[in-house]
Amino acid sequence: MTDYAIALTKVCKSYRLWGRGSQFATLKSALLKRDLALTPETSVEAVRDVSFAVDRGEAFGIIGRNGSGKSTLLKLISGILKPTSGSVKVNGRVAALIELGAGFHPEITGRENIYINGIMLGLSRKEIDARFDQIVAFSGIPEFIDQPVKTYSSGMYVRLGFAVAVHVDPDVLLIDEVLSVGDEEFSAKCVAKIQEMKYRGVTLVFVTHQLDQVRNLCDRALWLDHGEPETIGDPVRVVDAYLQAVSSTQTAPPRVAAAEPEAPRDDPNEEERWGSGEVVLSRVALVDTRGNELVALGPGTPVAIEMDVTVRVPQDDFVFGIGIYHADGACVYGTNTDLEGLMPERIETNGRVRFIMPALDLVAGTYRIDAAIHTRNGRAFDYRRGAIRFVVGSRVHDIGVYRPKHQWKFEGGIAFNEIDLEQRNVPIEVAEAMRTVRKPKRTR
Amino acid sequence: MDELRNLYRYRQLIAALTARDLKARYRGSILGFFWSLANPLLLLTVYTVVFTFFFPSNVIRPYPLFLFAGILPWTFFSAAVLESTTAISSNAGLIKKVMFPAEALPLVTVASHLVHFALAMPIVLLATVGFALHGDITIRATILLVPFLMILQTLFVAGIAMTVASMSVLFRDLRDILTNFMQVGFFVTPILYLIDKVASRPARALLRLNPMTPFVVSYQDVLFFGHLPGIADTLLMIAYAFVSVAMGITVFGRLRDTLAEAI
Repeated sequence: MTDYAIALTKVCKSYRLWGRGSQFATLKSALLKRDLALTPETSVEAVRDVSFAVDRGEAFGIIGRNGSGKSTLLKLISGILKPTSGSVKVNGRVAALIELGAGFHPEITGRENIYINGIMLGLSRKEIDARFDQIVAFSGIPEFIDQPVKTYSSGMYVRLGFAVAVHVDPDVLLIDEVLSVGDEEFSAKCVAKIQEMKYRGVTLVFVTHQLDQVRNLCDRALWLDHGEPETIGDPVRVVDAYLQAVSSTQTAPPRVAAAEPEAPRDDPNEEERWGSGEVVLSRVALVDTRGNELVALGPGTPVAIEMDVTVRVPQDDFVFGIGIYHADGACVYGTNTDLEGLMPERIETNGRVRFIMPALDLVAGTYRIDAAIHTRNGRAFDYRRGAIRFVVGSRVHDIGVYRPKHQWKFEGGIAFNEIDLEQRNVPIEVAEAMRTVRKPKRTR
Repeated sequence: MDELRNLYRYRQLIAALTARDLKARYRGSILGFFWSLANPLLLLTVYTVVFTFFFPSNVIRPYPLFLFAGILPWTFFSAAVLESTTAISSNAGLIKKVMFPAEALPLVTVASHLVHFALAMPIVLLATVGFALHGDITIRATILLVPFLMILQTLFVAGIAMTVASMSVLFRDLRDILTNFMQVGFFVTPILYLIDKVASRPARALLRLNPMTPFVVSYQDVLFFGHLPGIADTLLMIAYAFVSVAMGITVFGRLRDTLAEAI
């Protein structure tokens, strides 16, 4: 009995690019040219010299930018791909959640798909019979189980896929970025289920962009950069090192050539930035009336968004815009100078823009601010998504995002005793938010 | 040997996927599996009409029954092989996202066409009984040998399907090549005519080279003529079946690791 669940030794994987400009040769051309050797002209190394071992029952996280080889590594562990060199050893039954419901057939019912999917994941028909009710209960869609899967919403699809996959009772569970799907309730259920599996001694390997999950669930983490292991070890330390590296590249002035939007962001807490760079928002900050930078504020605080503008190429066509978003992504408010009838004349030299709000009437929660300068038809000079993150704290447990100025008035025989809200406990989610929010990074 | 052991391990999977294929194909259609018979029945009718009324030179009677014995195994062969060209690419999600034994896919294609073939047999039997009652033919016990022929033919088809399925991931035009090939093949197999009545020597030699010939001739022997398949034909069928399976396992085994990325 070996003590490791997964062992990778000097694993390399290169993808071959088949030549002659086209992805596939045709048999006809191959026969005509008498060239059936299929020599690849170039290859791309997706994973280079990765070695690590994961112990039984350990939770192991893999982080890194898009295209750094995380998913390839997971597919190598699962056996979907074979390494070009090196060895991959896995002990025990592996289940891989690389794409939920990948094996579902749209024309047949949920019930039949559970069986097929279960058999694909290595269960026998009898084993599925025994687990069937649990699977249906976990999916939370018993009323649709005898409908063809093509009638399902994408959420239902994912629920059923996850429900089958976690009931396979694997020794090793590989998860690729699937915990972020589904609604709040279902994600919470998934995380709880995964914690339960971890407790039962299942070895877990995650690939995720949700760094909080790595910090909370994993015992160790690997940061993969351009296919090579950068750091392995304590998840908090690895995540930190990764964030440092990401932010140092992001605060650098945007490349003038990079006009296309970046790939989906790696971490919701990280700023995303793009634009052509002729004009740059070199600093974006949320400040109080005396000009101090804020990260946390009470409801109704007078604040301003300050943007320092660096001009590299003077422009005639420019629009300043801001957007305030709730942490869950909902837009609270957005506006720009064009919408408010300010016609651009000329931006010649560096300057400062202030967006002044006499009172920011928001309900307790975490928010982010996007700031941008772009042309009137939307071409971005500098777009900074999530340039500022801030928390609004409150002793009142009111809900929503917007708190209109208000007061309660009572007439007739209605009486209340007012208590001092300071005596009440701070709501847990606010305390949590205050703790986890990071200071906005200063631009250098 | 490993390959065969794996196949045994995946038998439940292959059975479940075949059932899925058949269910998905016929869900929502009124005539159900009769659609799979529509094409062979149409061919049968057309050739019967042509060679009985338009061009009444053949001496084989009852001609429809003779055609049945050849067209059904040919349809099984050509449909399964042609469909196996897309067996892997149309299930790209499984190969790329799930730990899935790719060799199961062409075998599922073969299995579902085998089911169609097997479901057509009762119709042949019914027709045979009908002609027998009419006094055109006598029913012989050799009909019981049909399952034996089906097993050999299935092995033969499965080996080719595995070869074709894995190669068509790399060569996308294989399907077009095979489509044309099958159209010629239909006439280079003694389905519409008796091989013994072919006068030209080189033509007979060509027919003898076609690996489907011993299968079709043997089906005709046991279903239509009511005698045992010839020894040469039997040995050829066994040889073709084994060579084909060996080729399928070798080619598939060599290409398997590249499938997930080449697809």
